[in-house]
Amino acid sequence: MNTEFTEWLRGLADERLRVLVAARPELITPVPAHLEGLVIRATSPSATGRALDRLNRFALAVVETLLVMSPDDGALSYDDLRKTVARSMPSGDTAHLEEPLRDAVDRLQAMALVYGPDTALRLAPGVRDVSETPAGLGPPATEVFRHHPPERLEELIQAVHRGRPGREGAVVERLAGLLAEGGIVERLLDDVGPQARAALDELAWGPPTGRLPNARREVSVATAQSPIEQLLARGLLAATGDDSVVLPREVALVLRGGRVHRDLHPGAPSLDGAERDQSLADRTAAGQAFSFVRTVEELCEHWSVDAPGTLRTGGLAVRDLKRIAQLLDVPEWTAALVVEVTHAAGLVASSASVDGEWLPTTAYDIWRVKATEDRWEALATAWLTSDRVPGLVGERDDRDRLLNVLHPELRRPAAAEVRLRTLRVLASAASGLAPSSESVRERLAFEQPRRRGAYRDRLVDFTVREAEHIGFTGLGVMSVFGRGLLRGAEQSRPAREPQRARSAPATPAELLAPLLPEPVDHVVLQADLTAVAPGPLTSELGRWLALAADIESKGGATVYRFAESSIRRALDAGSSADDLVAMLEKHSTTPVPQPLRYLLTDVARRHGRIRVGTASAYVRCDDPSLLDEMMADKRAVPLRLRRLAPTVVASRSSRAVVVDSLRAIGYSPVAESSEGDVLVTRADSRRTERAAASRPALGPSVPDAELVAASVRAIRAGDEAHLARRHPVAAPDGQVPRSPSTGTVMALQEAIRQGSRVWIGYLDSQGHATSRILEPARMEGGYLTAYDQTRAAIHRFALHRITGVANVN
Amino acid sequence: MSDGPLIVQSDKTLLLEVEHERADDCRKAIAPFAELERAPEHVHTYRVTPLALWNARAAGHDAEQVIDALISFSRYPVPHALLVDIAETMSRYGRLKLEKSDLYGLTLTSTDKAVLEEVLRARKIQPMLGERIADDSVAVHPSERGNIKQALLKLGWPAEDLAGYVNGEAHPITLTEDTWTLRPYQRDAADAFWHGGSGVVVLPCGAGKTIVGAAAMAHAQATTLILVTNTVSAHQWKQELLKRTSLTEDEIGEYTGTKKEIRPVTIATYQVMTTRRQGVYRHLELFDARDWGLVIYDEVHLLPAPIFRMTADLQARRRVGLTATLVREDGREGDVFSLIGPKRYDAPWKEMENQGWIAPADCVEVRVTLTDQERLAYAMAESEERYRFCATTPSKTRVTETLVRRHAGEQVLVIGQYIDQLDELAEHLNAPVIKGETRVKERERLYQAFRDKEIQVLVVSKVANFSIDLPEASVAIQVSGTFGSRQEEAQRLGRVLRPKASGGGARFYSVVSRDTVDQDFAAHRQRFLAEQGYAYQIIDADDVLASE
Repeated sequence: MNTEFTEWLRGLADERLRVLVAARPELITPVPAHLEGLVIRATSPSATGRALDRLNRFALAVVETLLVMSPDDGALSYDDLRKTVARSMPSGDTAHLEEPLRDAVDRLQAMALVYGPDTALRLAPGVRDVSETPAGLGPPATEVFRHHPPERLEELIQAVHRGRPGREGAVVERLAGLLAEGGIVERLLDDVGPQARAALDELAWGPPTGRLPNARREVSVATAQSPIEQLLARGLLAATGDDSVVLPREVALVLRGGRVHRDLHPGAPSLDGAERDQSLADRTAAGQAFSFVRTVEELCEHWSVDAPGTLRTGGLAVRDLKRIAQLLDVPEWTAALVVEVTHAAGLVASSASVDGEWLPTTAYDIWRVKATEDRWEALATAWLTSDRVPGLVGERDDRDRLLNVLHPELRRPAAAEVRLRTLRVLASAASGLAPSSESVRERLAFEQPRRRGAYRDRLVDFTVREAEHIGFTGLGVMSVFGRGLLRGAEQSRPAREPQRARSAPATPAELLAPLLPEPVDHVVLQADLTAVAPGPLTSELGRWLALAADIESKGGATVYRFAESSIRRALDAGSSADDLVAMLEKHSTTPVPQPLRYLLTDVARRHGRIRVGTASAYVRCDDPSLLDEMMADKRAVPLRLRRLAPTVVASRSSRAVVVDSLRAIGYSPVAESSEGDVLVTRADSRRTERAAASRPALGPSVPDAELVAASVRAIRAGDEAHLARRHPVAAPDGQVPRSPSTGTVMALQEAIRQGSRVWIGYLDSQGHATSRILEPARMEGGYLTAYDQTRAAIHRFALHRITGVANVN
Repeated sequence: MSDGPLIVQSDKTLLLEVEHERADDCRKAIAPFAELERAPEHVHTYRVTPLALWNARAAGHDAEQVIDALISFSRYPVPHALLVDIAETMSRYGRLKLEKSDLYGLTLTSTDKAVLEEVLRARKIQPMLGERIADDSVAVHPSERGNIKQALLKLGWPAEDLAGYVNGEAHPITLTEDTWTLRPYQRDAADAFWHGGSGVVVLPCGAGKTIVGAAAMAHAQATTLILVTNTVSAHQWKQELLKRTSLTEDEIGEYTGTKKEIRPVTIATYQVMTTRRQGVYRHLELFDARDWGLVIYDEVHLLPAPIFRMTADLQARRRVGLTATLVREDGREGDVFSLIGPKRYDAPWKEMENQGWIAPADCVEVRVTLTDQERLAYAMAESEERYRFCATTPSKTRVTETLVRRHAGEQVLVIGQYIDQLDELAEHLNAPVIKGETRVKERERLYQAFRDKEIQVLVVSKVANFSIDLPEASVAIQVSGTFGSRQEEAQRLGRVLRPKASGGGARFYSVVSRDTVDQDFAAHRQRFLAEQGYAYQIIDADDVLASE
């Protein structure tokens, strides 16, 4: 363990430790027992890699510069660092270097990737190990030539310094020392000729390795034939395998003219793309937002009455997705997006984990009655924070299984973060600018250079496509309400309690509302039996028309078509022909066309001429007077008889009951074998409970302040214990403390707040009562995390097993 | 918020509010790239299809214009995806070009290498290609000029045909505008065709498509092959050409079932061209019989599949298609586009009517209630017999008689499907009947008599559906039809739409049995007519009878 680094970390103020673990939350999951634990974790390859992943291109370049310029864990002064970085920048830009460089170094120190005073900045241990080819540079000469046989090295040294007095030390060191001298390398380069020089230039800016058959061939300056052989003979290129060669770092630096990076810019690359009218873009986005909300509603309405099944593996069958795409009249990827967002917003859920159905939830009923803008906000937020990638639907995973929509395997940990980052980039563009996808990717590559790759590019593309469809963007430009939603998402983490002051910026919904098309309360009726609603309808009229007519075309307007079946549907729902005509007259801007009026009356004329009802038994008799008599009999009233025809009476009671009762009254009926109870049922809308879906944190998880403070306290406590080589404290004798459970929690909370020690009674897993001295650190989920002085370690204690708490002193 | 007259729907239909003050401008702006689908009284529906967009490209419009038209007239924001899609689709036309090269004959060239690579790899295309000439061009077998265009359209890369045309054997033809003049739109249509080289002219029935054909011939000044639907139509073309052009009887030949004349202008029927004996088309040589300078296809929407195949070999000749509608019930609009050519001219029925070129029409559906006995018989009829039963119910006869009486003094056509019914009606109405077995001579005699108003009522079967010219029929009564085909409807309506000497309106009655499949078919008809913008009304037969 690097004691220097450990001591530096130990010497930091608590506040800075808090900053550190807040910036690198993986260091405290779980909380390390002591500071050395923290160091081990912070310098591990995985944690270092994750920390480097968070750096932007400039900060990473600073790390790489330190790495290259301070070999062998040496230090580099801030001034030298600045000089080297300045060399890497295009001339003229260096004037603006000071501030970003200072910021970058501060940030790196805050993240404990760099430590030490300005006079001697050092990289944290571990950083070197995870940087294989920093800035595209190969390994230093000592490493490159380490495994070459000594006689070969001697040969190279001869070739390199041409009989000048040799140096002391190991052969490898001597060779490396020679190559590190710029003058020598320059001279060697002059010797090899332009072709060889060109080959080196290919490798100069990385990647530093090349393929060469029979790379380990024996060549000397005298025998060298080809340009490559001339290089090999002088150690300007070295074999790393049977058919691969590498350019040693020292040589590359000379070729680069002392620069570590080419064209380094401290600032993020600017976004470029098409210029649009922001208000037009806002309107377009609002139009899209409106239609997205409508599509979701339509989906839920469909599934209310015709729910698709849940696959055994979870998810929705391909067939069902195709069907819903057809019903919604959208391409399949859009249907997948709609389904996923609806699910993420908790509006649909599976009714059972096995053999269930996808049904709208009770939350849907609440969502449905909200204003369009609020409904959009709910959907957009759900999409923004979802860790699922609808764009992958239809592809196959690594095990060649088809990825279905709503399938559990559609989760991707990076999804929410990439989405948020992409949208932030779009939002950072100037008003009216539709950034090209290249420039968005370029910007993201600057922000997280280590995280770029084809997969992330795809996530970015998905995000851009989906954002447009959901209405975050219009014409590729971030809409004003999309911006609002992003702002809201960033400000109010983690607790999203609306405590907005009056002067607070408008909510996304408030921004969206005025952009949405005004609902209209009229339609245009035409002789081809269509009704055109020239905009979104008021909900009452919309529902009525959806009942009495079939929707034919959707978009800015809605085209409804009246057909016999649709009118019958309205009549079934209790309207009369007069009602229908009155409704049409009221809401039509034009006279009701004669063919439509005719159709209405014609369907109504035939509607209900045949009546169907439910009866459990019937009584028939050829003699109407006998039935008259029976109907008049008071004792027959409980049978709820109804005269259907002079010779037929129906009853709601069962055949057996009717027969028995009539016998009791004094008739002699005979039971008749029959069948034919026709039940008319209408499929009811069904609902399931909303699933308690796990909500991933928005973007990269940032631990809350309380947790950070608690962790730092725990580490400090652990460290103290560790340093003092404290021995377990003996538990006090006497009666184990007992206190009521509410008191326990309060006392522990108090102890956490004050950082004081407590004495508790604890039932261990075998049920034995024990007694401990604790330094409580935090309490959550029914557990207390505390440093146990009696065991000299951090433990978690189940609250319900704590029998009582007492102060130690 | 803009208050434009246009609403863009997500299914790529465009709704145009007709009464809006900017509706006219908007119609002109969108007509090049959107097909008018429905034109009822208040809101017209246009549809943007790839073919329509490519037609627009062929007519010289670019995506920028299309998008600009949509955005500037749209009431609500236009979905971005739709705009992107339009731009993408339009950019597909003309990436590939068929050109003539002195060295290699016919070549397929492309401005986009990737596209060329894509089509070169298509299995259907490969056999049609010759050697690769350069990075961006490849030779095409001259005989495959039509087939390759068809195949490329199917791949979604319609090629622009710039390979030019042969002039054919010259033959002087001029229009004799002595007692008549070319109407402005007819002249525009012929000019538009000539500038485009080949293509389709869409004009409503009764708008004088024959004359457009004659004008096209006058442009070409070359021997012409005219393909028409049937013999009667062939006669009428001949009459029309004699009347409108400098052509004489000797210069026009008929190539039909009975006559096989090949003259500088030859009129052939589809039927004779598609006659096969032992699996061989026996009259194919007609296409090569002369060096035709122009081929005219009448009623392109009815062009049978074999003619398409033959047309594929005629790509070096100028072709003009004449039709009332681009809608084909077999969905082969794409073949019309690639083999005959893009749409060159289009005028909606309503516009023509407003300008007074065709007569306005009132459509009336008369609902006949079946007697109880008929209803019982109908309920028991076999399903394949049902339509025939309700369509020919005797109750219709009385109503038809009443209607004919009501229009006494006017020229009335009674149109039906079933011969028995027509015979019976003819007997009741005391009118002559034209049906399949009526000889051509007799048919023409009756038509002439009808034209001369010697007879006022004529009963016709579906043989009269196509291309007959009955200028003075102001009333049509349809008693039965072929299951509500839209095609048939357009044709029948065309019968009464020709301008009347009196300038009066036309009436189109359909007599329909209530609560039967007849009524269901009538619903299709009603929809079609209402969509074409005709006033439509439904009345009860009892009201008709009571008005007596």
